[in-house]
Amino acid sequence: MTRLRSIFALIFLSTGLAITAQAAPGNSLRVQLVDERGVPVRDAVVELAPSRSPSGPIRFPWRMAMAQKDQQFVPGTLIIAKGSTVAFPNLDRVRHSVYSFSKPAQFTIDLYGRDQTRTHNFPIAGTVALGCNIHDAMRGYIRVTETPFAGKTDANGYVALDNIPAGTASLTVWHPRLRATGNEITNGVTIASGAQSRKLGVRLR
Amino acid sequence: MPFRIDALRFGSLKLRIAVLYAGLFALVLAATALIADQGLSRFGENSAARDMAANARVFDEILTLRASQMRGSTDVLARDFGFREAVATGDRATIDSALESLKSRSRTDAAFVVGLDGSLVAAGDARIGASKAMWSALDEGRQRGIIRIGGQLSLAAASPIMSPDLAGWLVLAQPLDRAELDRLVQLAAIELDARVELAGDLPEWMRAATDGEVFERTTDERFLYQVSTVPALQDGLEPRLVLRHSLSRSLAQYSTLQYLLAALAFGGIILVVGLSWRVARTVTGPLQKLDEATRLIAEGRDIDLATGSDDEIGRLATSFNVMVAAIEERERKILHVGLHDGLTGLPNRKLFLEQLNQALPRLKDGDRAMVVYVDLDDFKLVNDTLGHPAGDALLRDIAEYLSTALPDALIARLGGDEFAILMAIPPETASLAAVAERISDCFERTIMLDGHQAECTASLGIAMAPGDGKDASTLMKNADLALYRAKSEGKSTYHFFEPELDELARKRRQTELDMRTAIREGGFVLNFQPLYDMAEEELKGFEALIRWPHPERGLIGPVDFIPLAEETGLIIPIGDWVLREACRQAAQWPGDVSVAVNISPKQFAAPNLAQTILQALASSGLAPSRLELEITESIFIVDIERTLSTLHKLRSLGVRIALDDFGTGYSSLSYLRSFPFDKVKIDRSFVKDLGQGGNAHAVIRAITTLADALGMDTLAEGVELDEQFDILKREGCQYIQGFLFGKPMAGEDVFALFGHSAVRSYGHGG
Repeated sequence: MTRLRSIFALIFLSTGLAITAQAAPGNSLRVQLVDERGVPVRDAVVELAPSRSPSGPIRFPWRMAMAQKDQQFVPGTLIIAKGSTVAFPNLDRVRHSVYSFSKPAQFTIDLYGRDQTRTHNFPIAGTVALGCNIHDAMRGYIRVTETPFAGKTDANGYVALDNIPAGTASLTVWHPRLRATGNEITNGVTIASGAQSRKLGVRLR
Repeated sequence: MPFRIDALRFGSLKLRIAVLYAGLFALVLAATALIADQGLSRFGENSAARDMAANARVFDEILTLRASQMRGSTDVLARDFGFREAVATGDRATIDSALESLKSRSRTDAAFVVGLDGSLVAAGDARIGASKAMWSALDEGRQRGIIRIGGQLSLAAASPIMSPDLAGWLVLAQPLDRAELDRLVQLAAIELDARVELAGDLPEWMRAATDGEVFERTTDERFLYQVSTVPALQDGLEPRLVLRHSLSRSLAQYSTLQYLLAALAFGGIILVVGLSWRVARTVTGPLQKLDEATRLIAEGRDIDLATGSDDEIGRLATSFNVMVAAIEERERKILHVGLHDGLTGLPNRKLFLEQLNQALPRLKDGDRAMVVYVDLDDFKLVNDTLGHPAGDALLRDIAEYLSTALPDALIARLGGDEFAILMAIPPETASLAAVAERISDCFERTIMLDGHQAECTASLGIAMAPGDGKDASTLMKNADLALYRAKSEGKSTYHFFEPELDELARKRRQTELDMRTAIREGGFVLNFQPLYDMAEEELKGFEALIRWPHPERGLIGPVDFIPLAEETGLIIPIGDWVLREACRQAAQWPGDVSVAVNISPKQFAAPNLAQTILQALASSGLAPSRLELEITESIFIVDIERTLSTLHKLRSLGVRIALDDFGTGYSSLSYLRSFPFDKVKIDRSFVKDLGQGGNAHAVIRAITTLADALGMDTLAEGVELDEQFDILKREGCQYIQGFLFGKPMAGEDVFALFGHSAVRSYGHGG
């Protein structure tokens, strides 16, 4: 499954590389996320919102799609830019539905079969929790952001945000099990020039 | 007695046994009942506690079950897509209607939704205000517990609402009011009283109780309690489940059993008391009978105990009967021995007198009774010569013969050789003498004793009732007097009592008294008869002869009082006096003139004869050789050994010993051989016949020859005639004594004789 995810990542990475490269080069922020026991937290979304947000459309180097495979949403957490349309391809043999009661996007996609795809547009920033009406255990999250500087922590809890503008910014960390209102924590940070790193501790449920 | 209570004295063994055993059994029974009762209580309590613990667990289960049931309801709704959508979108109307529907479906009082932040999203009821306090519990994932709604503790179940992330909790609550708890309690197996309280509201003793442990507490009733913690679904809430069970009521079901036990114990005690009494009676009843029987026997009544059974008591009764019989038999024997003679089996004197006394009043007019007092002649001789066994055999033989020969007579042995016979004499009896002859003939028999022939004769004294006496003792005394007379008249005869016999007896008694006086006051005198030596033709000595000049009756010769003195034993003091007086006077005689003193057999047998002689010699100063003791052959009859020893002892004093009256009685030449007498005195009966022809002189010669051969002197007594003197002199007799030579003379005459100092001239024919 991990291998599969990395394949997709490669595909999307090659298409979005040009967009991100044009931003302010040089400054980068490497954030490591650990829980209270020091265990790295993976699949958390780290967003940096500079006080002066760059204009222009935001593009992420991964595909805007949330597949259903082996009765799981893949990838479990998807970061998209506000206004993106996300595809929901059903790669399972069983039928799935997709619903969301989240404020940014409340929708229901009725059951659909294998090799079928449905899409939905997310015009409002925020977190959208996805579920399948008939498979309670299926859980997927779409993080609709307004900043291009966002990423998911890897298995070691690391995420690297490159080409970020220096200056003050707010750093938001989100994770579905984060103990906080809205499952996110926002801190103000000052980005200096060059590469910098930061270690954040969070509490998980 | 194992124990003794002084204050409690039981008069009877029966009561003692009964009380002891009943007490013991009652004690054991009471102890058993008490222990059983205790055990029953303990068992009741334990099983109640066990039930309580079990049912407390059951009740916990019931509560859990109820909560689970509620949880099931919340789960269903919380998963409902539409509901989740309504919650996610905040569709209050939809939520409320769904909650209403849930409430009615699950028969609960409250249903509400708590948001993720603890806010009350929707409530069917306005009372709920503690949703914030529930948040942390819900957030920890607890699914059920106690909450407080409107001041009332309620059982709550919660299910998370996933949409798809946790959006809040659906909570269903049921107030645990009395009605609800009572309904739940009914599911338990025992009667329980359940309530859910906050720890803070509980009394101290409940709070102090260990969680989940059953304990007992008594107020007005005995109760078992269990206080256990129940989970809360709300912060700051410490609910406790208090279960109570009435131990008293639980134990009440055993009380019937306890009453039964008590009744059983009581009945048992009654039974034991009864049985103890019965056992005690079984034991003591026979004892009482024995006691009664013993008392009756002591009163002299004839008793035979019924033995009844084969057990110990029966054996005791048998032994008792045997004992009584043995005692009676022994008594009879003792009575027989007391009243009969052991040797012959005849009645003894006592029985004879009794029967005589009984027979006398029964004598009819004209009837007479003959009382015969019998004394065997010379029985002593039989005893001495043939031995006592022979004497006994003789007595037995006579007794046997009498019994057969005189079947109508009452025969008794009075003791020794004396018998008594009582015969009834019918009026027509012609001759009493014939009857007496017949009786006398019974005794005149020849009896063979160990190969020896013994001639038996008896003397009889007869008294006739009622003529000779009205009572037994008088009759016996008179018969005895008659017997005395018969004896003195020569043996083998009978004599009837005559009143003069009584007079004779009286005289004899008087004589005896007078003798005693004479002994005391020196009433006797001595006469001396000269002894003449024929060879030397001179006076050699005198024989001392006693005379009694009685103050009233005049001079009494020895023949008239010596036998009585012998009979009464007065001969000993009289003999002693003679010895002393003879020695005293002889000591004043000149030269070697001797004195001869007669020693009676009784005196000879007295143990202190030698001493008396010594004293007489010492006080008088008479030389022992001048004293001559004259003894008779009869001393040899009794005990030859002793006689010889006495003779030798006397001889060792230096006195001379002469054998008196030789030739009479049971003279035996062996006496002469056995002891070397100094002199033999030939009895006057031999002398009397001398000079009248015949062979008298041959006897004299034989005696003198024998005495000469044995170295003894001879003396002839009663020499009165010259012919006798000549023959005696010719036949070799040395001494003579008699009227021819000199009559007995008074002591002063002897002195007078010596005063003339003409002893030698006082010769034959002078």
